[in-house]
Amino acid sequence: MSQGLAGYVIRRLLWTVPVIVAISILVFLLLRLAPQDPIDSLLGQRYDEEIAQRLRAKYGYDRPLHIQYLKYVQNLFQGDLGVSTRHGDFSVAEVIVPKIRVSAGMNVMAMILVFGLGIPVGVYAALVRGSFLDPLIIGFWLLIDSIPVFVSAVVAPWLFALQLGWVDLTYEGVLHPNIILPVFVMSLPGVAGVARLMRASVIQVSNEEYVRTARAKGLRERTVVVSHVVRNALLPMVTAIGLSLPGLFTGSLFVELLFGIPGIARESLQAVLGFDFDVVLGLVLFGSVLFVLANILIDIAYGFIDPRIRITAARGA
Amino acid sequence: MSTVVAPLETGDLGTRPAPRYRFLRELVRKKIAMVAIFLITIFYLAGILAPWVSTSDPNYQRLTIEERLDTPSSVHWFGTDGAGRDLYSRVVYSARTTLIFTLVVILTGSLVLGLSLGLLAGYRGGYVDAAIMRVGEVLSGVPTLLLMLAISAAFRTRLNDVAFWLKDNTFLGDDARAIVPFLIIVGAALPFAWIGSARIVRSQVLAIREQEYVLAAETIGASTTRLLVRHVFPGVLPIFLVGISASMAGIAGGEIALSYLGLGVDPSTPSFGTLLGNAGGVRTFQEYPHMLLVSGIPIILFFFSWNLLGDALVDIVEPRTYRR
Repeated sequence: MSQGLAGYVIRRLLWTVPVIVAISILVFLLLRLAPQDPIDSLLGQRYDEEIAQRLRAKYGYDRPLHIQYLKYVQNLFQGDLGVSTRHGDFSVAEVIVPKIRVSAGMNVMAMILVFGLGIPVGVYAALVRGSFLDPLIIGFWLLIDSIPVFVSAVVAPWLFALQLGWVDLTYEGVLHPNIILPVFVMSLPGVAGVARLMRASVIQVSNEEYVRTARAKGLRERTVVVSHVVRNALLPMVTAIGLSLPGLFTGSLFVELLFGIPGIARESLQAVLGFDFDVVLGLVLFGSVLFVLANILIDIAYGFIDPRIRITAARGA
Repeated sequence: MSTVVAPLETGDLGTRPAPRYRFLRELVRKKIAMVAIFLITIFYLAGILAPWVSTSDPNYQRLTIEERLDTPSSVHWFGTDGAGRDLYSRVVYSARTTLIFTLVVILTGSLVLGLSLGLLAGYRGGYVDAAIMRVGEVLSGVPTLLLMLAISAAFRTRLNDVAFWLKDNTFLGDDARAIVPFLIIVGAALPFAWIGSARIVRSQVLAIREQEYVLAAETIGASTTRLLVRHVFPGVLPIFLVGISASMAGIAGGEIALSYLGLGVDPSTPSFGTLLGNAGGVRTFQEYPHMLLVSGIPIILFFFSWNLLGDALVDIVEPRTYRR
């Protein structure tokens, strides 16, 4: 297995490198060719041509584009993501790491909630299929899924903080109880997707021969459902969980904006609006690499969980 | 999703309907799907007929104390906003913005790009396939909203120059100011709009091209174009529609999110994004709840309908996992 697996991972990584290089060049050009640069937004009303020229020379923005890009890549390989012009030349890592921690903390809670609710809901809907309960349950969660965050992030605080007074709205850190409301607002819309996936998976597994065999040999219904059906139906969840991993580090923009949480998504928005070249590029690259890694992890995980699936280099990239 | 679905009658083969109509017949049998289609139709009709069903110019401002932030009444059905604009008319025109945006993105992104790239990848295979799918994979991995924001922000700074140039030099006239930002957000959505449908189409093509009737057609010398158009495409179509209805809420949501942040359509163009943005935060909602409700409820129903329709369509296309 190790030989085939190593070959597979290497092939995928090799395919990924040119695509990520292409994306980095595109985003780089997109930012540099825009008629505005970080110096414009930094100086704003106090724009002075002479100062601007000196600042551009300092950051190297006055040099030809390909030199700038090569310089960026050179620094990147030394682990240097550049500096943030909006944050007095703090390095990109210094700016984004604390914000990523905040977002990741919230997202871990949200993810536990999404899967912790979605999986049982999906199993239950599958078990009661054929009755009115199944479409009712799925329909309910689809309705929750249909409420845009910028509506729920206004109505929920109004209801639970202003009317009922159960929570406060100030941000006091990720581990403070005040975080409960934003975590619920950002996770509940995701339950429908997980529930539908789980439901479909349970129904598919229920039709398998070995489930019929388990029933035929007289196992209790509970045992059949728990250890034969649900156990195997959880397999597609590996993909769902794996694909949601990169999201842990990118945050939820509207929740962070409307609840005033200093997370990475809010930072991203401000970086884009301030044309903070290195921060935007760093975030895009970070997100892309995480996604690729998550996909490879999923494939490897399948190999371990399900012995029927063998990854070979021949399967192709 | 009716409560109990009877198993398909398979005994009498002679009366079985042509498979082409099976999709439609089953759709009509599903009550929830029909309700969803009904709501979507109303939404789109409101958008198409906006100039006729609106009661006022959506941008006409009434800056008197009586008419600003007015609650719903017989004159202003949905009330008025902070600038005294009639919210009912603004909602109707917002539906129009959503309609045009989703139509343009679906036609160009999902249909033209997604379908052709998916057919190409599935039918050609090899490096073409690998290249297309890898690009899609990485594109679906970059933080979508962040990149959409970057594209939108990068092109916006020259927006006025372009708009004025278009106004002076083309037939567009005053519409130029609305069209340019609109094109920018379409451009920001396109790189992501093709991925889902290309993936669906590709996997369907891979399955269908191994079917005997396709192999038979190939054997008797049907051309690639004929194979794709006559044999592969009709088989792909139902699941392609499922994909579109599933991605609809996301596409419409992209425009709304960008407009909410002020990076979407021109401020003079009514959009659910700007409406919800104006409806503001918790305090505004407490004082003037009608602003958020009248713009929020239509868009929730719109998303809900597409989600329900998508769910029902999956039922029809993949009966194995759903009906039992």
